[in-house]
Amino acid sequence: MQGYLSLSCKCGRIIRFNRFMDLTPATQNTQLEQTPEQAQAMLSVKEFVPALDEKPLEIKIAIPTQAYFLSGIRDFVVNLTKNLTGFSQQWAYRFQAVTDELCNNAIEHGSQVGAEVRVILISAHGKYLEVVVEDTGTGKDKMTAQQLTALYKERRQSMTSEYLGFRGRGLPKIVGEWTDELIFEDIPGGGIRVKAKKYLRKEEDRVFSAKQNDPSHITI
Amino acid sequence: MTSVQITIEDLQDLPEGKAVKLIHVVGQLDESNVDEQAKAIYQLIETAPHGLSLIFDFMGLEYMNSKSIGYLTDWYSKVSANGGKVVIAGARDNILDILQVVGLTQLVNAYPTIDEAKLAVLK
Repeated sequence: MQGYLSLSCKCGRIIRFNRFMDLTPATQNTQLEQTPEQAQAMLSVKEFVPALDEKPLEIKIAIPTQAYFLSGIRDFVVNLTKNLTGFSQQWAYRFQAVTDELCNNAIEHGSQVGAEVRVILISAHGKYLEVVVEDTGTGKDKMTAQQLTALYKERRQSMTSEYLGFRGRGLPKIVGEWTDELIFEDIPGGGIRVKAKKYLRKEEDRVFSAKQNDPSHITI
Repeated sequence: MTSVQITIEDLQDLPEGKAVKLIHVVGQLDESNVDEQAKAIYQLIETAPHGLSLIFDFMGLEYMNSKSIGYLTDWYSKVSANGGKVVIAGARDNILDILQVVGLTQLVNAYPTIDEAKLAVLK
C-alpha cells in the first residue's frame, strides 16, 4: 500500500519526495526496523537537517479511513521522532501512541468509510514536536470542537487510576498525559482538527539521554 | 490487519487446586486486530474453572493501543471476580510506559520474567 510523503518548512521551503512511500503495515517484530523506502526517506531528510534545525519540519500524510494503515504511520512516527526531533526513544514511543490514538478517533468517529484522515507532523528540532490530525466530519459521531473539548475535560477530571471501563482512555490519559498543549478546532467546511504538542524542556527527554547501545537510536 | 499472534498454554506441575494459563502475545495489538484476537481470551475466561489465573507474556508485544488496554482491564475484572489473578510478564519499556500512564499497573502487576510472574500468581 502506498501513500504520498511530502515535507515542507514553514519558511516556505518545500522538500519534495517525488515518489511514494510504502505504508504497508509492518509484519511482526519489525517495529524497530525501517523499510528500505523509509530508510531512504530518512537519509534524504537528514541531508536537510542543518536547515531544519532552524525552521520547523512539516510532514503531511493522508490515509484512508481504515485502521489497516495505522501500523505504517506508527512506524514512521517512531523513526521520525527518534532520528529527527531531538526527543528520546521513550518519547518516540509515546508520540507513536499519541498519534495512533488521535488517528483511531478520527477514523472511528470523525470520517466515514472512503474518506481520509490527514496527519501532519511538525518538528522544531530540540524544541517541540506537534501532531495534527484532521478528520472530514463525515463520521458516525459528529461533534464540534467545543463538544469534544468539554468531553475531554470531563474525562480528564473523572478518570481515576482505578477506572475499570472498557473505552475512553486514549484521549484523556494517553494523549492528555503525554502532550503539553491539546487544541480542538472546527475545520471550515466540516471536520475536527486536533493539535497535540509536546515541548522538549527537560534534559532527560532529549535524544542523548537514551539508553546506551541501542542500535536503533541514531543521534544527529 | 496488523500482525499479532496469541498462543495459550497450560502451566503444568501446579499445586492442587491451582489453574494458570500462560498467554503469549507476539506482534502489535491495535484497532485493526484486537477485537478479533480478544475473542479467544473471552472464551478462555468464560469456560474457566474457579480461581483460574492468567499470565500475559508480553515479551514479544511491540505495541498496544487504548482499546487493547480496555480489553486487558475487562479481563482483569472478570478473572478477579472469579477468584483468580492477572499478571504481566516481560513487557518492554514502551508497553510498561503506556500501562503506567493509564494507571493499569496499579491493578495488574508486571514482572520482568515469566518465572517471577508464576511465583506471584501461585502465592
